[in-house]
Amino acid sequence: MIELIRVSKRFGAETAVDDISLRVEKGELCVLVGTSGCGKSTTLRMINRLIEHSDGEIHLDGQPVRTFREETLRRRIGYAIQSTGLFPHWTVARNIGLVPRLLEWPVTRIQARVEELMNLLGLPQEEFADKYPSQLSGGQAQRVGVARALAADPEILLMDEPFGALDPITRETLQEELRALQARLHKTIVFVTHDMDEALRLADRLVVMHQGRIVQQGRPIDLLRAPADAFVESLLGGEDRGLKEAALLPVSERMRPLRASQGHAQERIAQHASLREALSVMLWRHAERLIVIDEDDRPVGELSLRRLVRARDDE
Amino acid sequence: MSEARSWGRQRALCHWATPFAWLVLLLALTLGMEALEGGFRLLEPDSREIIYTRADFLVLLGRHLLMVGTAGILAIGLGVGAAIAVTRPGGRDFLPLVSQLASMGQTFPPVAVLALAVPVLGFGTVPVIVALLLYGLLPIVRNTLVGIEGIDAGVREAARGMGMTGGQILRQVELPLAAPVILAGIRTSVTINIATAAIGATVGASNLGDPIISGIVNGNTAYVVQGAVLIGLLALTVDSLFAKLMPTRG
Ligand SMILES: Nc1ncnc2c1ncn2[C@@H]1O[C@H](COP(=O)(O)OP(=O)(O)OP(=O)(O)O)[C@@H](O)[C@H]1O
Ligand SMILES: [Mg+2]
Repeated sequence: MIELIRVSKRFGAETAVDDISLRVEKGELCVLVGTSGCGKSTTLRMINRLIEHSDGEIHLDGQPVRTFREETLRRRIGYAIQSTGLFPHWTVARNIGLVPRLLEWPVTRIQARVEELMNLLGLPQEEFADKYPSQLSGGQAQRVGVARALAADPEILLMDEPFGALDPITRETLQEELRALQARLHKTIVFVTHDMDEALRLADRLVVMHQGRIVQQGRPIDLLRAPADAFVESLLGGEDRGLKEAALLPVSERMRPLRASQGHAQERIAQHASLREALSVMLWRHAERLIVIDEDDRPVGELSLRRLVRARDDE
Repeated sequence: MSEARSWGRQRALCHWATPFAWLVLLLALTLGMEALEGGFRLLEPDSREIIYTRADFLVLLGRHLLMVGTAGILAIGLGVGAAIAVTRPGGRDFLPLVSQLASMGQTFPPVAVLALAVPVLGFGTVPVIVALLLYGLLPIVRNTLVGIEGIDAGVREAARGMGMTGGQILRQVELPLAAPVILAGIRTSVTINIATAAIGATVGASNLGDPIISGIVNGNTAYVVQGAVLIGLLALTVDSLFAKLMPTRG
């Protein structure tokens, strides 16, 4: 659990972070968004004390971060950054094993852990263990960066645009992997991104920052439905908000039981797909009605355009 | 298996072939300069003495190496040490001063350093070593600074963020990454000093500069050439050795 209580950071006369309070529960994935220079990275780096905060208090599981020795604190917190910061003179395996080595784990345990992480992140041992960072693609390097952050199995993970500078497909794959990973590992994660779709897809809690302040925080769907002001509204996509909201809701939310008489609908959609995908299928197939199917391809319901659009159907 | 090993050995031999060739040539001339007497006579048909004999070339070579080596080791220790010190958080304030001092050092002619050192340290080997040390310091300090400062900011941030201590970052990240640049600085420093050391002969530190100075004083071109050729060969040997020491990993 991470708690920031009325935290500020000043660089000389400039206030980079201004009196923010934030609580990230254990197992929660908190995403910070906001325009460039609004203090996201600064907030992140105050948590592992790469930057010392000027005012307020930062607690980890109830203990002020200043009571830890800096290195001890950082070895307990995973850290992944956009530029990856992989050591160019070390192999992938050695890079991943960095923090366990700092913690003086036995060699065999480090090896086993590195192997485990490489499998977890889809980096086949035989192919990647002995490569140098310069021999990796952008996506592979980011994976190694995340593996290194996870190496010592930290409770807390700080990620500063870890999937930045990647093509949309690789980025989406990594997002899926992070979600799957999080479902298994239940880390406490603070994640910074510029990509609003990424933020909405990943966040349990979305935090919007503006000029060093937190202007709104909460569940992504709540922020979409009730933005606090025009800034939050435009940041969340303005006119695009309808699609963004639809992307957050599963088909199962709006479908209704299949009626025998409606058997003429041909197009199908999975029940865990998003309403946005359903809308796209309707547009593409010129269909106003979709059959909803479960994992075993069995029809379990149907979704009409009217219902998708209106939430309540008065048929 | 044994074929692979012999192939590996051949490659190793090839690798060291250039410095080895220069070394053989250097030693051959040092020990057997007399063999070229006929050639040198063409340069100095009127002189009675053609080959410099006031001291053994091997002794002069040894003394030359000793001076350059001592100055080099001191310059490496001092230069790398100073550059490391001013790139630590505690020493940052001195960074501009040290890099300026280092660049001034190079504009100062070594003869002037000698002229200033002699009244303080007297004649002989010590002032020469001091002059060479000061002169060789710049490329080492400058390259160490460039090497350390040039490390990617992301790498530095990650190293700190992972919880490495200052000492661990220095030993495991900064020095290994800066090593090629530092080594290049040492190479420049030592190679320049092999040539510069010759002027030490003017203040009574005998080395391979002796035949050159004596040749100039007595108007004997053959002496000058003998000293110059040996110094040139020594510089080539050492420089090609450094070339082979440079890491080649891309
Ligand atoms: N070390 C520093 N010294 C002085 N000012 C700094 C420092 N680090 C950050 N700042 C300033 O603090 C403000 C917030 O910076 P920060 O890096 O937190 O922004 P950000 O939200 O991460 O932006 P971006 O999205 O572009 O990464 C900026 O105005 C920046 O110039
Ligand atoms: Mg940032």
